[in-house]
Amino acid sequence: MTWLPFIIIIPLFGAFSMPIVSLLKGKAKEIWATIISLATLIVGIEVFREVWTGGTIVYALGSETPFGKANFPIRIVWEVDKFGAIMVLIITFVSFLAILYSIEYMKHDTGLEKYYTLILILELGMLGIAITGDIFNFYVFLEIMSIASYALVAFRNDTWEGIEAGIKYMFVGSLASSFVLLGIALLYGQYGTLTIGYLALKMSQNPTIVAKVALALFLGGLLFKSGAAPVHMWLADAHPAAPSSISAMLSGLVIKIGGIYAIARVVFSMFLPAVNLATVGWIVIIFACITLIVGNAMAVVQEDMKRLLAYSSVGQIGYILLGLGIGMVAYGSRVGEIALAGAIYHTVNHAIMKALLFLVAGAVLHELGTRNLNELSGLARTMPKTTFAFLIGAAAIVGMPPLNGFASKWLIYESSALFNPIIGAIAIIGTAFCTAAYIRVLFTFFGRPSEKVMKAKDPGIAMLLPMMILVIAIIGMGLFPWQISDKFMIPAARTLWDIANYVASLMGGG
Amino acid sequence: MKIAYALLGLILLYIYVSIISLLFSGIDRKLVARMQRRIGPPILQPFYDFLKLMSKETIIPSTANFMFKAAPVLMLATVIALLAYTPVGFPPLFATKGDIIVFIYLLTLADFFLILGIISSGNPYGRIGAAREVAMLVSREPAMMLGVFAVMWGISKLNVEKPFSLSSLYEHNIWELGPMAWIAAVVLIYVFLAWLASEIEVGFFNIPEAEEEIAEGTLVEYSGRYLGIIKLAESIKEFIAASLVVAVLFPWQLNMSGIEGYILNLVIHTLKVFVVLLVSKTIFRTVTGRLRITQAINVLWTRVFAASVVGALLLAMGVML
Repeated sequence: MTWLPFIIIIPLFGAFSMPIVSLLKGKAKEIWATIISLATLIVGIEVFREVWTGGTIVYALGSETPFGKANFPIRIVWEVDKFGAIMVLIITFVSFLAILYSIEYMKHDTGLEKYYTLILILELGMLGIAITGDIFNFYVFLEIMSIASYALVAFRNDTWEGIEAGIKYMFVGSLASSFVLLGIALLYGQYGTLTIGYLALKMSQNPTIVAKVALALFLGGLLFKSGAAPVHMWLADAHPAAPSSISAMLSGLVIKIGGIYAIARVVFSMFLPAVNLATVGWIVIIFACITLIVGNAMAVVQEDMKRLLAYSSVGQIGYILLGLGIGMVAYGSRVGEIALAGAIYHTVNHAIMKALLFLVAGAVLHELGTRNLNELSGLARTMPKTTFAFLIGAAAIVGMPPLNGFASKWLIYESSALFNPIIGAIAIIGTAFCTAAYIRVLFTFFGRPSEKVMKAKDPGIAMLLPMMILVIAIIGMGLFPWQISDKFMIPAARTLWDIANYVASLMGGG
Repeated sequence: MKIAYALLGLILLYIYVSIISLLFSGIDRKLVARMQRRIGPPILQPFYDFLKLMSKETIIPSTANFMFKAAPVLMLATVIALLAYTPVGFPPLFATKGDIIVFIYLLTLADFFLILGIISSGNPYGRIGAAREVAMLVSREPAMMLGVFAVMWGISKLNVEKPFSLSSLYEHNIWELGPMAWIAAVVLIYVFLAWLASEIEVGFFNIPEAEEEIAEGTLVEYSGRYLGIIKLAESIKEFIAASLVVAVLFPWQLNMSGIEGYILNLVIHTLKVFVVLLVSKTIFRTVTGRLRITQAINVLWTRVFAASVVGALLLAMGVML
């Protein structure tokens, strides 16, 4: 028996039962959401362990095998390899902390039963993307995730910026999703199947121009979801406008699972036999370089704290895309393996540290009601614990050695320098901008306390606890960087490359 | 077991360097006084200063936050950790492949903690000093990094055990790389002496602390124990920075085994550090005044960094041809 179905069942049950649970007055809905997300976290850990000890899980919905009487898969399959398992673990972890944080953070808002329903659906959509092995099922989960995040960005619908950012995000987001759907339609028309592994098999036998058009549509749609440079503008509005617990999930998870993970999965597990990987890789690298520079450089000039963090997310996505792109161009070599492992590692690390930074920003916003950095001078005096958490998060994102950001960035620098020194130099320039942006914020926080700041105090335990857990995770992961890289990230990169095994475990097992 | 020995070595090294570096600043003050026809303080004066500061009352400004108290301790801790990666006549205690990056990182981190402590006081004078310190920090490090990396790259071509480690400086050195490298080395001597002067902020570069202009700038709010700790950390950092210069440019040591070999090499290294500091600190600060911050940054980029580029290119040509 596998734990895998419960990763969908539990959040789905939690979300659908939320309107009924919220008929109970008082704190019932908060507690229910926390219990549900904790249960999901436990299942996530179990799934992770299962994949790590037993290899790729293939799960067919409705039957023992995906085949029925045919000799090709006819059912929806879920296929979780090592990369997927890492994503499942990090999604359930950060979502749990965000929900725990919401208990105190969201208590002044109304309509909370809808909030908790949506946040559980958001988690559900992301988990679905991570586990699915069916391309249409992938689209459904992508839309579940996207629609929940549109609604959550615009959750505070009495503020002008929430509505504005929500509309912007929804219009362009729907367009991007429709690209993905069009790509799927083309692939289905050409190859007559929707299972990712089997599509890869069919494509390797008959690579057509349709496959290339579909890939272009996929890349266009998914780069949008990841917030890559020319289409990052929704992100800089959506992250500041959303409640901070949602920003933490958006920036830590949504852009990675709907963008990075999806690109990696689609390219490596589906299109690898049919297209020239070097071309796709160079396209990704070009976008990555633009994203790196634009995101980090724009972060330096921001005065709004959450906007700064949003642009910094864009910049960090640039690093991950860079690792991914090099992993495509240098397929099968040592450099490519390091780059891809670095990209996966940085995905995990950035999820943790950006979640922490947004939770800190939320605490500041909650206590002081302003995000303007010029008014936040001297925050360290009255909110020492929050500032300490920010210090750790900022140091980690810049990539200071005893913290987790160092190792992952190092892998990306090393591989890009070995791959092409110019790209390595671009990566270093991006980091220089990133450092400048965060040092500026630190200088503000540690400066002379302004009058407004003097009335603030640290938030309560329900908000501090998630931050401290993330701080411990950052420091703890920072102490064993190479062990984590060798034990988890490099094997995950290898399984992602190993399409033969991906297809074989679908066709042979199940 | 090896870790235990390395830790013991680190503690002994820390005690030794603390004493030696304070002693050198005593000698430095004496020499500066003599150059200006004064008698000057006794050579042990820095020790009396340190003891006095440790026994004084420490005042915390009402606008200060937790970093004000934490920063001096973190700075000293960083500097002590840095000692484990410093070449002191024999290879560093924790020498590994690529440890030069750790060295540069920790050297910068110590300054960063100091800056963080200064701005945490909330004093506007301190803030000005900190801003100048950051500007100097950003301007002076690239010249040194380029020089060190060029030398280490050149040495790594000669088959060293641990490439880009400070221990490789004791296997081969820049003077073995041929006549072209000798010219490069002369250029790099200039670069490194200028870098050292700006790192320990004397002469031209005594800008962030600028006693007369901005009332001690960086250290304006620190008193008592914390000031003592910062002074100690700064003088250890001075020794470390000079050690880097010595190890990169003048790494000749005696080839002697056993414990006396280590001690003898340490003493020789200390003497070389004294000579380097005598040129770069004592004489330089006696004969020059302070620049304005814009001038200093200009000097660091156009004179020092440019020279570093020239030196690195010459060195690369010498190795390649």
